[in-house]
Amino acid sequence: MKRSHIIALVLIAVAMAAFIATLADSSTFVDLAEAKAKPGKEFKVKGYLDKSAPVEYEPIIDANLTTFTLVDDNGETCRVRLAKAKPYDFERSESIVLTGHVNATGEFVAHDMLMKCPSKYNEMQQMGQVEG
Amino acid sequence: MNNSPIAYIGEHAWAGQLGHALTLISLVAAALSTIAYFLGAERMDAAWTRLGRLGFRAHSVAVLGIVSLLFIMLFNHWFEFDYVWKHSNLQMPMKYIASCFWEGQEGSFLLWTFWHVVLGNILISRAKNWEPHVMAVFALVQVFLAFMLIGLYVGDWKLGSSPFLLIRELPENLGLPWTQMPSYLSVIGEFKDGRGLNPLLQNYWMVIHPPTLFLGFAATLVPFAYAIAGLWRNERSAWMAPALPWTFFGVMVLGTGILMGGAWAYEALSFGGFWAWDPVENASLVPWITLVGAGHLMLVNKRKETSLFSALTLTLITFILVLYSTFLTRSGVLGDTSVHSFTGDGMLPALVRFLLIFIGISASLLHPDKRQRWTYVLLSIVLLIIGLAFAIEVEAILLFGLLTFIHLIQSYRKGFNTNDPEEALWSREFWLFIGALVLLLSAVQITFSTSIPVTNILLTPFKGFFTSMGQSLGWEGLSKLGNEGLSTPSEAIAHYNRWQVPFAIIVSLLVAVTQYLRWKKDEFSRFVKQISIAFVLSVIIAAVGITLLGYSLRELQLGFMFFTTAFAAIANIDYIRSALKGRLKNAGPSIAHTGFALVLLGALVSTSRKVEVSQNTRSMDLRFLNEGFSNNKDILLYRGDTVRMDEFYVHYKSKRPDGVNLHYDMDYFAVEPRSYAKGDTVRIGGTLFHARVSHTAGPQFLEQQPEFWEALESYSKRDLWHAREWSATRPGKQLFALSPIIQLNEKFGNVPEPSTRHWLTRDLYTHIRYAEMAMDPDTLPNGTITPDDAWMPKRKYEKQVGDTIVTPTSFVVIDSVYIMRDSATKAMLGDRFTVHAAALRIRDLYTPDRWFEARPLVIYADGQPVMGKAAEVAPLRVLYGLATVDGEKLGIEVAESEFVVMQALMFPWINILWIGCVLLALGSGMAVWQRVRGK
Repeated sequence: MKRSHIIALVLIAVAMAAFIATLADSSTFVDLAEAKAKPGKEFKVKGYLDKSAPVEYEPIIDANLTTFTLVDDNGETCRVRLAKAKPYDFERSESIVLTGHVNATGEFVAHDMLMKCPSKYNEMQQMGQVEG
Repeated sequence: MNNSPIAYIGEHAWAGQLGHALTLISLVAAALSTIAYFLGAERMDAAWTRLGRLGFRAHSVAVLGIVSLLFIMLFNHWFEFDYVWKHSNLQMPMKYIASCFWEGQEGSFLLWTFWHVVLGNILISRAKNWEPHVMAVFALVQVFLAFMLIGLYVGDWKLGSSPFLLIRELPENLGLPWTQMPSYLSVIGEFKDGRGLNPLLQNYWMVIHPPTLFLGFAATLVPFAYAIAGLWRNERSAWMAPALPWTFFGVMVLGTGILMGGAWAYEALSFGGFWAWDPVENASLVPWITLVGAGHLMLVNKRKETSLFSALTLTLITFILVLYSTFLTRSGVLGDTSVHSFTGDGMLPALVRFLLIFIGISASLLHPDKRQRWTYVLLSIVLLIIGLAFAIEVEAILLFGLLTFIHLIQSYRKGFNTNDPEEALWSREFWLFIGALVLLLSAVQITFSTSIPVTNILLTPFKGFFTSMGQSLGWEGLSKLGNEGLSTPSEAIAHYNRWQVPFAIIVSLLVAVTQYLRWKKDEFSRFVKQISIAFVLSVIIAAVGITLLGYSLRELQLGFMFFTTAFAAIANIDYIRSALKGRLKNAGPSIAHTGFALVLLGALVSTSRKVEVSQNTRSMDLRFLNEGFSNNKDILLYRGDTVRMDEFYVHYKSKRPDGVNLHYDMDYFAVEPRSYAKGDTVRIGGTLFHARVSHTAGPQFLEQQPEFWEALESYSKRDLWHAREWSATRPGKQLFALSPIIQLNEKFGNVPEPSTRHWLTRDLYTHIRYAEMAMDPDTLPNGTITPDDAWMPKRKYEKQVGDTIVTPTSFVVIDSVYIMRDSATKAMLGDRFTVHAAALRIRDLYTPDRWFEARPLVIYADGQPVMGKAAEVAPLRVLYGLATVDGEKLGIEVAESEFVVMQALMFPWINILWIGCVLLALGSGMAVWQRVRGK
């Protein structure tokens, strides 16, 4: 066996391992119903903040706990315990992506959150409405 | 409908028209230049080449015109233009005008185009007989980039986006009534000022980082163009000599650009580090990795006709990866996985085609046989047409991928598979080759994980298949590929580190040893002898370092990486002494290698030994309260409070507005042992102690208690409540001050900016995680005398006499409510007013026997509360107010003293990283200089 063949085999093996490991490490996007159906399993859930429900953050008691209610794209809601400080401008967020699992009491326990704030403002359209 | 054009007042429409015209000229000139250079190259005809050059000069003039025009528009604040309105405003300092220029998508494309123009003009004067081929590629790329600026709609898909659009010309505004008003600019207030540059980007990093990064991206086009030219002229190795200095120029500039991005993130953004494996960061890192691999394989090929295929492939792939990274970050495909990618704006289809065309060109030329090249090109075009016509583009792209793969294998077998004897095991070229492969693998892994959103799209045709397979086999991985949909790793940093640490170990080991090996074939014993000093020295340093930093056996990988990176740095320094005999002229590569190794070493130590010093600073373990409570990772600081944090006392002194910034001034003090005088009284739990003698406290109370302290037999409760808690230490002299910032920005949102204290061996990095922003007087308790923001928003409780209230820090018993009828009050206020007072007993929630009293007042007139006087319990930093009294029913208001939540991280030895960055840039620069001069 030539040395180049061995190298080629090693390359393929490592690439395959990387592929499988990425598959194993990757999480999946689900809706809240699915996450609730499989408590304890880690998912990513996309939705937005329910502004009618309270956003609770008591830094005196726990600076790394924010609780709020998430609404997913199907309108399903769930109380969320996020293990982080309340983000800046949380109330203004457009959409949020949470990473975590549903616990035994039916709450979504999130250890990470990605928040998208409105990047484009529609001032001009509002202006058009005012004028029209 | 009135068809005559409206004469708009005050518009600089000519600038827009000129801009559009210049963009069109730049496109046409680039296209003509491409054709002319192409013919010049094919026919070896100097006349065509001259015409191509003329075309490129015309293109260059047009691009410079566009750049100047956009600067003029920004300078003069012509807010009728969308780009100017979105990216600048009147208040912004002029020095940031450049940042406005490239803040947006269009401006950054323009910056990229500009650098290609600069590099292209240098090549015209230096490329000699390579000019027609190389410049044909350059001009073709410029055609595509000009398309990205033209801003045309072709059917549904948008071809680029122009910075010269007037706001009234935006598709979403077309037909709106105000666009018909001639005087809209003066009538509508919004046009007076722009939205402005995000204040977060108003710093010098935004001035220097994008140009450097884009120059780096642009530099990858030079080796790419040379590689294409080499294949085109069938001179498959000759192109490398002129491309080599450019390759390392790209390594230097792109590397500097990437590291600048890291430094920016670390200095001015609150990511909590310099690298987060964010898709946007990865997208610029991957081309750098492959460019490094390509450059080293070119070095091999200069000596020996091997590694030809891999050198070509890596060179071609580098530029394709730059295009791919543009696609990833500009098309909106990353969507929910990255914090700072651009939104799509419908650019995806155009970017995909751009990318596929360059993959097609590169792959086709790798085949030595002209007929096969054309077969591949034709098949690809057919696939593209089928995909477009039947709306099955994903399938078409997948088939194109398969076709390209087969074509590449055939190309290799036909054109590159030689039966030469293999390289000797102990030769420099063999290990350089292995190093390049490891770099490629590292790039593949990062690309693969970053591309998960793309993979998801590409897998659409197989979703059903994977879902049913996953269900029937019960195999989760397959279900993920199916309908569930893949998402990026939930522990992204851990995921990337798990793969990249082993790669870094191998690469740094190779960086250490490869220079010591000779080309062709080396004596193993000579090699061992030469490297042994560096090896022994590294073992010693690694042993000391690993012990001091406490890498345990479980962190074997990290410990090993410490050794290999230290070895790489030391071996390369020693190489300058032993092999180069101290000739610094030739030391560029060694210095760059040392820098690279130090970057890895610094990243390793500062990240793996990062300490969250703000963690667990509170005296009690919060987990006992409830399982759900974590111990705070962040420190809570009341204004005016001084608390222990790691080896410091930190004191939140003041909140200071400064323009758009709110500074939180924090003083840091040394920790000193506390001294007690004879007769001092302290409290430990529920007992009071008396100092027998004057002494300095030790770390533990109990150790010294029999000798120094005597328990008091009897004392009043009041004495106990007011006695000071025993503590071993106290704040000493002030060491330094930090001012983390919150930038207040109504348009872009409030953002924190860190403040960092730098030492030689470590950095203390702090930023505000939470601060109350809503501080209007209405949120303060009734009767608060200072209507400033010294108190947090009030909490309201409706209670009865005899009830209790639990606030986050206190436990309140409402003993009674009464009317103050004493004559002094009466005389002062008269009969109209009634003064109610509540008698509250308050306990520290966390110390069962620590009681206080508070008597807040409220004054009523004609049945309405008119004024109050809140009562502060200073030791608890809480203010109690009485808002209403209705018989036995009370409205109680409670407010805590103003506080912030801060995170503090200690990064040890991060300066190794920055020194590495400087050496990496310096060394690569020296190497490039040496190659350019040595020619």
